Amino acid sequence: MTGGGTIVNRDQFLSRVSSAVMASDAPPPPIVAERLPDLDPVDHLAMFRLRAQTVDAVVHGPVTRHGVPRAIIGIAAGHECETFASWDDLPVSGIPTALTVAGLTRVGHVVPSDGRKAHQMEYAGLDLGVTGSVAGLAESGSVVLTHGPGKARMVSLSPEVHVVLLEVANIDRTLAFWAARHPEMTRQTANLVIVTGPSRTGDIELELNLGVHGPRHVHVILIR
Amino acid sequence: MSVQPVTFLSRAERILGTDEAAAVDRGMRLMTAMREAAVDEFPIAKELRDRTRAIRLHALAHLDRLIAKFADQVAEAGGRVHFAGDADEANRIVAEILEDTGSELVVKAKSMVSEEIELNAHLEASGVEVVETDLGEFIIQLAGDTPSHIIAPVLHMTKESIGALFAEKLGVEETADPVRLNQIARDHLREIFLRADAGISGVNLAVAESGSIVVVTNEGNGRLTTTAPRVHIALMGMERIVSRWEDAAVVLEVLARSATGQRLSVYTNVITGPRRPGDPDGPDELHVVILDNGRSDILAGDTAEILACIRCGACLNVCPVFRTVGGHAYGTVYSGPMGSIVTPGLQGMEPWWELPYASTLCGACEEVCPVGIQIPSMLLKLRERAASEGRLPGWLEKGMSRYARTAEDAGRWARAKRWASALSAPLSSRGWIRRAPGPARGWTQHRDLPRPAKESFGDWWRDNREP
Repeated sequence: MTGGGTIVNRDQFLSRVSSAVMASDAPPPPIVAERLPDLDPVDHLAMFRLRAQTVDAVVHGPVTRHGVPRAIIGIAAGHECETFASWDDLPVSGIPTALTVAGLTRVGHVVPSDGRKAHQMEYAGLDLGVTGSVAGLAESGSVVLTHGPGKARMVSLSPEVHVVLLEVANIDRTLAFWAARHPEMTRQTANLVIVTGPSRTGDIELELNLGVHGPRHVHVILIR
Repeated sequence: MSVQPVTFLSRAERILGTDEAAAVDRGMRLMTAMREAAVDEFPIAKELRDRTRAIRLHALAHLDRLIAKFADQVAEAGGRVHFAGDADEANRIVAEILEDTGSELVVKAKSMVSEEIELNAHLEASGVEVVETDLGEFIIQLAGDTPSHIIAPVLHMTKESIGALFAEKLGVEETADPVRLNQIARDHLREIFLRADAGISGVNLAVAESGSIVVVTNEGNGRLTTTAPRVHIALMGMERIVSRWEDAAVVLEVLARSATGQRLSVYTNVITGPRRPGDPDGPDELHVVILDNGRSDILAGDTAEILACIRCGACLNVCPVFRTVGGHAYGTVYSGPMGSIVTPGLQGMEPWWELPYASTLCGACEEVCPVGIQIPSMLLKLRERAASEGRLPGWLEKGMSRYARTAEDAGRWARAKRWASALSAPLSSRGWIRRAPGPARGWTQHRDLPRPAKESFGDWWRDNREP
């Protein structure tokens, strides 16, 4: 029953799947309509704010670009952060410098090909991570992060506190609507992550618990 | 999945009335309530579910083409694709990758496929240290247990028992506080993540056009597993594929709402190839292992639609049988209504022919399924297949032949009715018979029988309707 020779190469594997597709007498599948159904418009900013709070993220602003460093320093002080990591590629310049001047120590985010583990151990006690985002999703209160040069994955994953900058104009309705407008997005980056609030689990008696493996706190700073 | 000689009924009997059964029931009520709150809230929720069905069925109808396209795109993005016809082959492929890359410490994010092929046992036998990182799976691994629910693997355990387990295995102070338990696991696992040589994950969805894989988690372990170690190995069932990223996005929304009542899971992680030149971090190598292991047999048969399943677990949560006995009674990785079709499909009717009978055919599963899979009618097809292969539960075989003998003779039928009516009063309590003698004994061994009405339908008809 669990058919199969011992070594299945690509051609063998695919020809078995082809035969199965051919043998199937399933009716032809329904057609996937060209466009998503229409939706009544909502105030994306108001909805994003509400829904992000529902998933235990904290929303700040909207602030001007000038106001961003001060907002981050305030958050860092509130959580008593001592160390931070930051993307180089942020929509506002001068943030790492401002944090350093405020007394925080920066942990580098470029992982060398050799010495990967030694470098990563520095992340173990990381307090704060600062990243940008390419989009916000109003319906779920999510932010979309794409990674690449100057934009490390671990910065939004390793620290206790994740601060993410989001431009108000980039808030869309839901993941499906945003993806339909950006079909090329997954090809452009090796890693895209949609973050919806802080890390959580309900594994123990379905009781909600924040900060399992990822950040315990997520702060979204909206930029006007 | 190893063959478990113990039958569904005896496993179920062992669980009924225990703490495990109570925990499952409590959990299922909570999960169903969370789901109900979220599932219809979005204005076009129904349209998105219909679209998900179309996307999934379209993918199955073109599965060969989509797998080929996906494999080409993974390679284009710098990843390696491995094709595994069965569990042995998949295990061997993973072991070889780990050996070739000198990997000794491996972290794992939750993957049903890895449970299906029993990867951990295989790797441990070859001297690799494998650490489960999903909190639930980590607890399961410490306890030497198996998961009881595809979304909430330790649903059957209490916080007290988990606290005792941590105290014993990790040498920490015993506590039943979930916040403390969570912190203990986080601290213990964090260092392992950063030291690990390789990470093994499952795949919730794969995108053919871009060669992307999507790994969804709430805890963040799925991201750490696929980011920190130098090598990432992703295991996927060959049916986990959709055509385009836009399609995946629709399915992911529906999956989150239906699985846990969330609008989206915390981390929806989309991976397209390994770390690229200039990327500051991420794995240097990406290997995708695509597994058949009986799936092409299902695809060719009359239960092919079950492959459209997006593994949200909603059908488990509403199933009265699952709610009563829990996932362990099924004796296999894929439990509940969905599992009762998948397991015999992947592994054959022997020894799983009983599972399609672990259902009342009430239809709650089909009603709740976001992909609209016709679960009860497929369970019936599998019962038919079992019967045609000469396998019938004893109570049914004996009961049916006695019923036939009684029903074909008017005198015998009338006598049986009188007997049933007279006997049922002393046997029943609050309208239900829990233990019946004679021909109904087999039935009441594992279920209650409603007490027959005082007056038979025939008598009522004669008195009220016959001119």
